Formats: sequence, structure tokens, C-alpha cells
Amino acid sequence: MEIVFLLINTTVDALISIGRMALILVPVLILIEIARAYQVIEKITGKVKGALQFLTLPQEAAFPMLAGIFFGIVFGAALIIEYSREGFLNKRDLLLIGIFLSICHSVVEDTFIFAVFGANPLVLLPARIVLAIIITRAAASIIDRYSLKQA
Amino acid sequence: MTLIVESIKKGLIKSLHLLWLLLKIIVPVSCLVTLLNHYGVMESIAGFFSPAMAVFGLPGESTIALLLSFFVNFYAAIGVITTMSLSPQQMTVLAVIIGICHELPIETAVSSYTGLRIPTAAALRIFTALGAGLLINLIYNLAGGG
Repeated sequence: MEIVFLLINTTVDALISIGRMALILVPVLILIEIARAYQVIEKITGKVKGALQFLTLPQEAAFPMLAGIFFGIVFGAALIIEYSREGFLNKRDLLLIGIFLSICHSVVEDTFIFAVFGANPLVLLPARIVLAIIITRAAASIIDRYSLKQA
Repeated sequence: MTLIVESIKKGLIKSLHLLWLLLKIIVPVSCLVTLLNHYGVMESIAGFFSPAMAVFGLPGESTIALLLSFFVNFYAAIGVITTMSLSPQQMTVLAVIIGICHELPIETAVSSYTGLRIPTAAALRIFTALGAGLLINLIYNLAGGG
């Protein structure tokens, strides 16, 4: 009989946690939709020039990358497929964007969810962004050296 | 004006879908963990992995959260987390690892459209996540337990 009480307790705890997440998630998801409707990403693509230069990526990479960072990897990847079909990005650039977004995507939503459970968002968010930048830059160096040798 | 109303509506619908998904994953997972706990299964799993998890400053039970995150998704890991009591330092380390490495079967398939091979993507994310976890834990320890 004890196990039944334990399970009821667990369910109640889980529901409370979901409720706490809802308080954060609902406003965040609404804000993300508003940002999408008002094309906020399009407006800030020009402002990440320096970061893209550091990553040795072209300006065209800004939109799919920012979309992936804020809206998630599925949305980012959909844009990347579209972009590659239209020939805006070459194979090397696509691969680098893939590496970056693998490590760093939908950071807003994820960070808020973990903050609900007591994680420090000021550690969480920079950790993912900085690591993604370092690893993508390293990958760029490796790819470029390798293809120079091949050429 | 209609644009903003439309977006709020869309955001609300998406929230409801997500919350329903959370309910379907988190409640069963946390009940399963409670059962495993009750019958002592969790204790043996945690005991087996606790030396490995100690490197990250995490209790052995975190293994279950990590494995569920890697192979199922983010929310299954949350189901385990709701049953655990972790310090802010431990929660941050765990969140960094899970944030970088989750839902590998689906997400590595999605990212393969960029030309990144699935095994490479999986290895990249697992190693980055564990490395980041180690580093963050180390920084916390050096900073005096945060």
C-alpha cells in the first residue's frame, strides 16, 4: 500500500514541477512567436558580423544560425536545407553551422527550464555559446588545413 | 495588431502542446524512478556509477538522468530530476551536460542535413557535454563551492 502513496506523491510532485515550468514556458514561447512574427532575427543579422568573421563564416550564415540558436535545431536545419538548395552556403560553411548548432540551439527555452530547477542561467547560457564558438572555430581551422593539403 | 494577437495565440497553442508532452513524459518517468527507488534497483545502479559521477560532483542517480537525456530527450531527464534533490552547483553542472547533449537519435539525424555525420555529431556532443560538465564543476570547486 505504501508504494501507492509514494506514486501519488511522485505524481503530485511532477505536476507541481510541470506547473512551475508552465509559468516560465508559456511567456517565453509567446515571446518567441512574437519575435518570429516581427522578424526580429532578420533585424539583428547585421549585428553579428564580427562573430561570423571570427568563425570564418559568410554573412549568409547569420539567419539560419540565429534562428537555430533561438528557435531550435529543427527550425534552424530547415532553413539550412533551404539555403543550401539555393546555393547561398557551401559544403564547408554548412558543416560548420551544423557543428555550432549541435552544441548551441534553442538556448532560451532550455535555459529557462533548467533555471526553474535551480541551475544558474548565468553559467548555463555562456557555457554553451562559448563552447560552440571555440569548437566551431577549431573545426574551421582543421577543415581548412586539411583541404589545403588536398588541393 | 492582429499580428500580435495571432502570435500570442500561436505561442499559447505551442505551450499547451509542449505542456501536454511534458505531462506524458515526466509523470511516467518520475513514477518509474520512484518504483526503482522503492525496490532498491536505483541504489545498485547509483552505487555502480557513483565513482564516475563523482568526477562531476554529481550523485550516482544522475546517471539515469544523463542516459535518458542522451537517448530519449530533455524532458525524460527532467522527470528524474524532479525526484532528486540537488545543490545549485550540481543542478548547474547537470544542466550544462544535458543542455549540450540530449535527444541524440533525433537531433543528430536532423543535423546530418548539414553534412555532419551522425556518429560524429553524437561523439562531438557527448564529449563536449562531459568536458563542459567537468570544467564547470572544477570552476565551482575552485570558486569555493559557489
